[in-house]
Amino acid sequence: MKLRNIFVSMIAAFAVAFSALAGAASQELASESVLEEIKKRGSLRVGMSTFVPWAMRDKQGNLIGFEIDVASKVAEDMGVEVEFIPTAWSGIIPALIARKFDVIIGGMSITPQRNLTVNFTAPYAHSGQQMVANIELAEGYAVEDFNAADVTIACRRGATPCNAAQEIFPKASLARFDDDAQAFQEVVNGNAHAMISSAPKPRFWMGNYPGKLFMPTDENLTTGDEAFALRKGDPDALNFFSNWIVVNTSNGWLKERHDFWFKTQTWADQIEEQ
Amino acid sequence: MSESRPRPPVEKVKRVTRLDVAIIATVVATLVYIYYRVEHVLVYEWDWPLVFEYMIHIDEVTGEIFPNLFLKGVAMTLRLAFWGTLIAAVIGIIMGLCRVSNSLFLKLGSRLYVELIRNIPPVVFIFVFYFFISSQIIPLLGLDRIEDTYSPGTLAVMRVLFGPTELFDNFLAGLICLAVFEGAYITEIVRAGIQSIGKGQWEAARAIGLSRYHVLRDVIMPQALKTILPPLAGQFITLVKDSSIVSLISVQELTFLTQDVSNTTTHFFEAWMITAVLYFMMCFPLAVLFQRFERFGLGIQKH
Repeated sequence: MKLRNIFVSMIAAFAVAFSALAGAASQELASESVLEEIKKRGSLRVGMSTFVPWAMRDKQGNLIGFEIDVASKVAEDMGVEVEFIPTAWSGIIPALIARKFDVIIGGMSITPQRNLTVNFTAPYAHSGQQMVANIELAEGYAVEDFNAADVTIACRRGATPCNAAQEIFPKASLARFDDDAQAFQEVVNGNAHAMISSAPKPRFWMGNYPGKLFMPTDENLTTGDEAFALRKGDPDALNFFSNWIVVNTSNGWLKERHDFWFKTQTWADQIEEQ
Repeated sequence: MSESRPRPPVEKVKRVTRLDVAIIATVVATLVYIYYRVEHVLVYEWDWPLVFEYMIHIDEVTGEIFPNLFLKGVAMTLRLAFWGTLIAAVIGIIMGLCRVSNSLFLKLGSRLYVELIRNIPPVVFIFVFYFFISSQIIPLLGLDRIEDTYSPGTLAVMRVLFGPTELFDNFLAGLICLAVFEGAYITEIVRAGIQSIGKGQWEAARAIGLSRYHVLRDVIMPQALKTILPPLAGQFITLVKDSSIVSLISVQELTFLTQDVSNTTTHFFEAWMITAVLYFMMCFPLAVLFQRFERFGLGIQKH
């Protein structure tokens, strides 16, 4: 009987110690959240990459775009400054994990593969992939005609468009480029039949080269969900950013900004002479 | 003096040979062909003024002139080149001396360093170094949040020397990558220079009682310098050009910002051509300068 008492009291002691430990651990988790770091530092460090019209440079060399608006408002709502860390797209996830910045707000589409490495918030934009093709090479082609062995499709590597191209046009050969601009130039020069890129760039470009390019379909080829990306193991930050997106989706702010950058081109005179 | 004996007059060849004509004709024909291709086959709308806007920006209201992305990139590349050259030279000289030292440990250590760097492509080295090594070391040294540590005055000076302070850790990582990388090549140049001096010089200098340090400083190095200088100058120019690889780890230098401009404007031919000219304008004066040095240095050696 005595032995049993000792046993029970030992278990009880363990339980108490354990729950205290767990309490401490959850407090530690909260204080280790990147949110605390941001508040302490007084600035939100945002990783992004130049990508029209998400983020680009105006004539003064300043950053403008949909993403820049979004990140600036997040920081404003947190009561901190915003710091943009322009990052090469191919290295943006490793840079996030290496703590070069707090969050990626970079028009990154959610994919299961990426999600194994980073956490995604709720989506803040739903963009699609559009296709633009060379008239001389592909006159009269319907979308499915591009799925042929003699067709070349250009896209930016390490990004959703190349994956989409591979899925929709498995027979076509892909020409991968570091930048969209290069992929696009290949189509204009007739070295590739078509290129795939995030809307609305292909449509804007078609307008710049009337008579040379056409869009095989006005529909988007795919629909993506773009979200903020965060390091794993930080539920507090994930909750905060996700709910920020939920709130700003409900009040229409995100849609209004999205339409401004994606549906109109009134901002274009900040980059080009009209 | 050697000047007392009259030199045989040097006959200068001024005649244009048939070979010259053929070469010139080929070059001209190639240029014309390229021009034709660009003008008539390449579908491209040139817009130089738009891209030049990113060189300097003139405020329409006040008329003030601001350096824009290209010039900011040049400034950053020059910073990288300046500090990179200094650090790489220090690494190269120390490691070069280690390579010829008598200590087995120093010899093996420096050999390991050189072979490791020389047998890894720069791009691979930079990724490995940046993501695995520098992202561990720099926070450890507390260099990732310098805004909180230093006074505004210090930060202003640092801004001139190292660029935007909020990106200082990035700059530092890129700089160390570049210096460690180029240092390996300088090591080999220094080693080759020292070893080009005959054994007899060492033995003679030791025989008259000079210490190893003095042999190196007073006998070997002055002679080795002549062999070292030309390839060293070439290596420094290479360093300026190689600095473009740190754009991969997002150091905001000329190549990275050119990518930004070409992505934003989609006029990437103009953007990259301007950048090519800018790199040339940085490297060519260096080449001329080093040529002067070389002549001047050799002149002194004669006396």
